[in-house]
Amino acid sequence: MSTWFRILIFPGFAFLFIAALAFEWIDRRMIARFQGRIGPPWYQPLADLIKLLAKEDIVPEGTNKFAAAALPILSLTAVLTASLYVPVGGIKGASFEGDLIIVLFLLSLPALAYFLAGWVSSSIYSLLGGHRSLLQYFSYEVPFLMAVACPAILSDSWSITRIVSFQAQTAWHALMQPLAFVLALVGLIGKLKRDPLDIPKAKSEVVAGPLTDYSGRKLALWHLTMTMQTVLGIFLLVNLFFGESRFFNPMPALPIFGLKAAAILVALSTASALYARLRIDQLMDLGWRILAPLALLQMLVTLWIAN
Amino acid sequence: MRAALVQGVKALAYLLPDLLRALVQRPETGQFPFAPPQIPEGYRGRVQAHPERCRGCGLCVRDCPAFALELHRENRDTFRLVYYPARCAFCGQCEISCPFGVLYQTHTFVRGTEDLDRLTVRLVDRSASTTPEES
Amino acid sequence: MARTIVPIGPQHPLLKEPIAFQIVVEGEQVTDSTMRMGYVHRGIERLCQERTYIQNLYLLERVCGICSHVHAVTYCRGVESLLGLEVPLRATYLRALLCELERIHSHLLWLGMLARNIGLDTIFMYAWRDREIVLDIMEALSGGRVSHAINTIGGVRQDITPMQREVIWGQLDKLDQQVSRLLRVVEHERSLQARTRGVGHLSLEQVRRYCVVGPIARASGLDVDLRRDEPRPPYDRLNFDVVTHTAGDVWARTLVRMQETLVSVQLCREILRTMPDGPIAVSARRRVPPGEAISRSEAPRGELFYYIRSDGSDRPARVKIRTPTLPSLLSLQIQLKAITIADISVILSGVDLCIACADR
Repeated sequence: MSTWFRILIFPGFAFLFIAALAFEWIDRRMIARFQGRIGPPWYQPLADLIKLLAKEDIVPEGTNKFAAAALPILSLTAVLTASLYVPVGGIKGASFEGDLIIVLFLLSLPALAYFLAGWVSSSIYSLLGGHRSLLQYFSYEVPFLMAVACPAILSDSWSITRIVSFQAQTAWHALMQPLAFVLALVGLIGKLKRDPLDIPKAKSEVVAGPLTDYSGRKLALWHLTMTMQTVLGIFLLVNLFFGESRFFNPMPALPIFGLKAAAILVALSTASALYARLRIDQLMDLGWRILAPLALLQMLVTLWIAN
Repeated sequence: MRAALVQGVKALAYLLPDLLRALVQRPETGQFPFAPPQIPEGYRGRVQAHPERCRGCGLCVRDCPAFALELHRENRDTFRLVYYPARCAFCGQCEISCPFGVLYQTHTFVRGTEDLDRLTVRLVDRSASTTPEES
Repeated sequence: MARTIVPIGPQHPLLKEPIAFQIVVEGEQVTDSTMRMGYVHRGIERLCQERTYIQNLYLLERVCGICSHVHAVTYCRGVESLLGLEVPLRATYLRALLCELERIHSHLLWLGMLARNIGLDTIFMYAWRDREIVLDIMEALSGGRVSHAINTIGGVRQDITPMQREVIWGQLDKLDQQVSRLLRVVEHERSLQARTRGVGHLSLEQVRRYCVVGPIARASGLDVDLRRDEPRPPYDRLNFDVVTHTAGDVWARTLVRMQETLVSVQLCREILRTMPDGPIAVSARRRVPPGEAISRSEAPRGELFYYIRSDGSDRPARVKIRTPTLPSLLSLQIQLKAITIADISVILSGVDLCIACADR
């Protein structure tokens, strides 16, 4: 497959776009069914996106116009670039030793851009939301990085493709290091700012957080960034913890990959429906008192096994 | 061991049985407007009249809390009872106040309209030359 | 971070009715707050003076959408005492049935709003789904889900048929089951407790000083309930418990309201079972002799107070309403201090604001 095809169509931008819409629909539909409702039809995420693109784009006075326009583009670019290195069902865009670090770095750029969006905005809600998003970042990022580093340590490689093929020879990392998987899942919830960790954009406290003043096309780009980040985060976790396996060998890789991703999405939706939102001080308490020590413990165990 | 597991699930995810139960049950929300709404017996909707029974006493006009009824009266045999559904509160007091059983409430909603004439309804139109008829 | 003022309202996703709070924060800590109300003031007390007593029945129902029936009942009771009427017993039972149903629906609505404001959307959906049972019962009984228009001066307008009684009995069983489940969730669900425990504490002395009424007062230990303290038919012949708690925080209020809902379901059953036969209304004169009357009721949010003065015509000279939300708003002054921003939504939900009631 030519490189351009891989970048633009599959597993690149077009596939990511369609996957983002599909995952958003599955998520909203699942949460609705959990709550006893029907949920939106399959074209709802696409309709929402088109509607947002068609709406008027207002930048209030006092907001830095250049930053307000540049930040969503920056985050979307970061997410799309990260998608190049995350393989889908074995098919990858590009890979080299160390691409896991690049992906993790690129996936943390949207968090920074989110905070900056709150900082440059003139609304008090945006400032509060940005403040909270930074506090949240410090609480989940350390356990998340440590948890995601564990499969890399065990596989003795920082390339996602090598980690996946390592699992083909041994077993899923989720089975070998279940604590790392759970911590990575919790960290992912924080990264994606989903309920119960949607503190920066808590609707009843800070209206919409840093994105309160965004509208129209810029908001559409932010929304697309968030949903694509969801897809990429899930794909990353599938690759790192549920990579290839000997038992599924004769079956086609892509649907199996899709099923695993859907399973993780279902777990995330269930978590959204189960819990109330945490307070920011409760999250920091949780992150530093429980998650980080557990991640450290898992890392020490992994290091000991690896030797 | 099993009890400890149940306790652990209860502590971490108390709502899980409810979520699973909601998954298998029929959703509570209705598919309006693709499915018809369920209107119960006795629903208080728009007001209608039996115009032949009306004597033009005006008790309904006096008791209407929303001033949705007006009686235009020239003499004992010529009068008009006008109803404004847009002002109506659908309380049914007019039905109770009328001693002759002229007014009654139907099950229909008052729909929004761009035609303002539809929001002024002549329930009773009586004049000396015409006999009482359905209007 | 420097001292900033966060405006909550008049429009905010947290509030279901407009009211303005200016909350002074430093970082995430709240230090002070001011409040401004009156955004939903419709001048209902003045409008009452220009309408007859019968027209006011329907106007006063619309003071609040959640506790509409109890406003009408309290007003009717005031006018009936001015007229010297004795309302038939069956009518009082029917009025009480709807009052209790309204209490159930109000508390379920409130639980949903609290859950939504702390991010637990699932409980919001479940509570409002169960509330639909109550609204369907009220629609079958009176013809309207929110504005019942079932009262008239001298009694009620519509009777309950035996078939409706059977249907409602079955629905009450289902309601009992669902509300019990919601109560257990409130008692055991950890994330809800983590958000509501210890938040918005009001001591008994503060409750007394600010004249707080209703479930908020009962959650701080004040044992006051007008249904028991001013017994009037049918409450003087029904057995029910008054639920109190001592913690005084939002979680205690949640527990009190949910347990009260269960008590109300039980009361509905007893009302249906022991309802006597008889007429449902006595006829009332249109002109009310001059005098003053005071009537109080236990609305879902606390004590509702009506003062009616008549001058001998068919229009009241003065109708004064004091709704239970007013002292709750005043008590927010002490609650919105030394908390974090995240607690604001919990506290504002916890006091069960009905601004339409407070502003009239």
